[in-house]
Amino acid sequence: MRQILLRREVSADRWRYPGEAGDGPLLQTLAELLAASHVAAAVAAELGVSIGPADDLGSLQPWIPRLQLIVVHFEKSGDGRGFTQGQLLRQRYRYPGELRAAGAIKRDHLYLLARCGFDAFEFDPTEDPRAALAHLERFSVAYQPASGTLVQPQFRR
Amino acid sequence: MPCRAGQAPCRVVRVYQYDEIDRTLVAERVAEFRDQTRRFLAGELSEDEFRPLRLRNGLYIQTHAPMLRVAIPYGLLNTRQLRMLAHIARRYDRDFGHFSTRQNIQYNWPKLEEVPDILADLATVEMHAIQTSGNCIRNVTADHLAGVATDELEDPRPWCELIRQWSTLHPEFYYLPRKFKIAVTGALADRAASQVHDIGLHLVRGSDGTIGFEVLVGGGLGRMPIIGKRIREWLPQAQLLGYLEAILRVYNRYGRRDNIHRARVKVLVKSLGIEEFTRQVEAEYAANHGCAPAVNAAQIARLRASFAPPPYQPLPDSDPSSGAAAAFLAWYRHNTRPHKVSGYRVVFISLKKHGEAPGDMTGGQMDALAVLADRYSFGEVRVTHDQNLVLADVAQHELRTLHAALEPLGLATPNIGTLTDMICCPGLDFCSLANAGSIGIAKQIHEQFDDFDYLYDLGEIQVKMSGCMNACGHHHVGHIGILGVDKHGEEWYQITLGGSASGTVALGEVIGPSVPKRAVAATLARIVEVYVVRRDSADETFLQTVRRIGVAPFKERVYAADTAAA
Repeated sequence: MRQILLRREVSADRWRYPGEAGDGPLLQTLAELLAASHVAAAVAAELGVSIGPADDLGSLQPWIPRLQLIVVHFEKSGDGRGFTQGQLLRQRYRYPGELRAAGAIKRDHLYLLARCGFDAFEFDPTEDPRAALAHLERFSVAYQPASGTLVQPQFRR
Repeated sequence: MPCRAGQAPCRVVRVYQYDEIDRTLVAERVAEFRDQTRRFLAGELSEDEFRPLRLRNGLYIQTHAPMLRVAIPYGLLNTRQLRMLAHIARRYDRDFGHFSTRQNIQYNWPKLEEVPDILADLATVEMHAIQTSGNCIRNVTADHLAGVATDELEDPRPWCELIRQWSTLHPEFYYLPRKFKIAVTGALADRAASQVHDIGLHLVRGSDGTIGFEVLVGGGLGRMPIIGKRIREWLPQAQLLGYLEAILRVYNRYGRRDNIHRARVKVLVKSLGIEEFTRQVEAEYAANHGCAPAVNAAQIARLRASFAPPPYQPLPDSDPSSGAAAAFLAWYRHNTRPHKVSGYRVVFISLKKHGEAPGDMTGGQMDALAVLADRYSFGEVRVTHDQNLVLADVAQHELRTLHAALEPLGLATPNIGTLTDMICCPGLDFCSLANAGSIGIAKQIHEQFDDFDYLYDLGEIQVKMSGCMNACGHHHVGHIGILGVDKHGEEWYQITLGGSASGTVALGEVIGPSVPKRAVAATLARIVEVYVVRRDSADETFLQTVRRIGVAPFKERVYAADTAAA
């Protein structure tokens, strides 16, 4: 079972990626979500989507109130566009649900990702989520009013 | 309490003073890097994983050893900080440091495992190496005459400190497509090369008389030299950070990440066109209203108070040159400049002495200069973008004593603004990127032009030299630019003429094929001979002559059949 760091807790991921077996809710790609009819989506109990750092958030906007999970998948370590996706989803689109950074994510990215509004982390397989946890609070002060303060990620409550 | 010779060291603090937040952040940063270094040395982090982490702490792996670049925000140091830089040079390096063109200091011989200790030492004097390298917002630079210049509209330093804080560990803009440099000026003359920065900010008066910012974007040197374009004629001061965020956000989202040589914001500006880039920035700026940090009045007032003028004495202007020795007169004429307060003068400390690498200073010189700065300049020292230092507030009647103290330290070379006041990168001697040496060429030029009377007759000539096309030595904007190139394993040098980093900013024009190493100084000698013959009066500067007659006459002389360069 895939372990993720979700709101300060290491836990088993209850979501399934396309092609994965199990009975958890199924994540969709952005293309799948946009192609789905609203009727079909309406019957789904839970909706989650995986997007890339360069995907256009405007097309996602109508779905945002219905989504429980948005995964931003970092193909490459330190792709700065993914940080902007987080800020925009929290600040401009007011997305309140789980916002997960996945892919090439290591403990050294954690603090800044959290400040951009990410509250869930699906690490690179070489990283230990338990060891990474302490890095969420690597810095106790900050100069910028980032998403971590403007829109309180839930792990800070 | 004015600082006078023979009295106790001046206690006036002349730089921004850290509060609890600043102190905590820097301390936590040291702890973070200590942990990252430990993990790297223990094999828990690969070189590829460690690289972006160490770069954002100023640490390069160079030809001989790591190189550590320490931030000197907007070039301002108090003497406690200068003494710490001396201590670091002695304790961790080979007793010298190299001041760079972006007002930083670089150490060429630290040991990787000792770098966390160096950073901890720096933190004790409120200094750091955060974001002095890597694809992030770099150390902000400013006019080295901020607060004392006679042509200044408003002191840029409070704004620089605001930008320093805002850009430090900015969560969204820490992993940009490429490095990002910001320079701020508040005077008529541009002494910060702001037009060749990713963002250049100029404090200017708007049509209603209110001071705001003119904003330039997309300037830069390197492989693709471009002069910055105006994106905003006038921006309210309170909106500064919001506008910077809009520019950075558009760049972060749409700047190229597939090719390191096409990743600077200048390439995005060029490919979109300034009109479209401006439209996108303005749209983002409008859309982000309410989320972007506004500059609050109390905050800027607090920052302004950090840069209050020192307690000047009421002094009349005097002429310290009457009856003075020739050595003092030359130094006074070339190494000092007018000050906005009567009775005071700005003093330049030349780090371009014959026999020394341009910009280098020993620990002993730093300590000695700290003593003099305490006595004669309110305990403050500044770094210029052309790799010299400045004592900004020296009483005119103390200039002779100061000069006498600087001479035996090797810090009174009277060549500021002359041909031997060269900008020079570390070159092949230290840098792993370089194609050719630059320190050796500087020595050659010093030997060729060792006659000060001739240098003075030539007047202002800015020579800028880079050991490779990354252009750390700003060769594109040198009146005479020298670029080291590699030709089949040999060091050759391409010469450009007519560049300028201030006033009417211009990129130099290549005069022809590159010249061999042995012929560089001789080539410069021929170039200035043409100037001496062709200038229309003693008042016409080298740059003016080049602009008037073009490069052809220089080219003709350099490549004439009898030259060594042919």
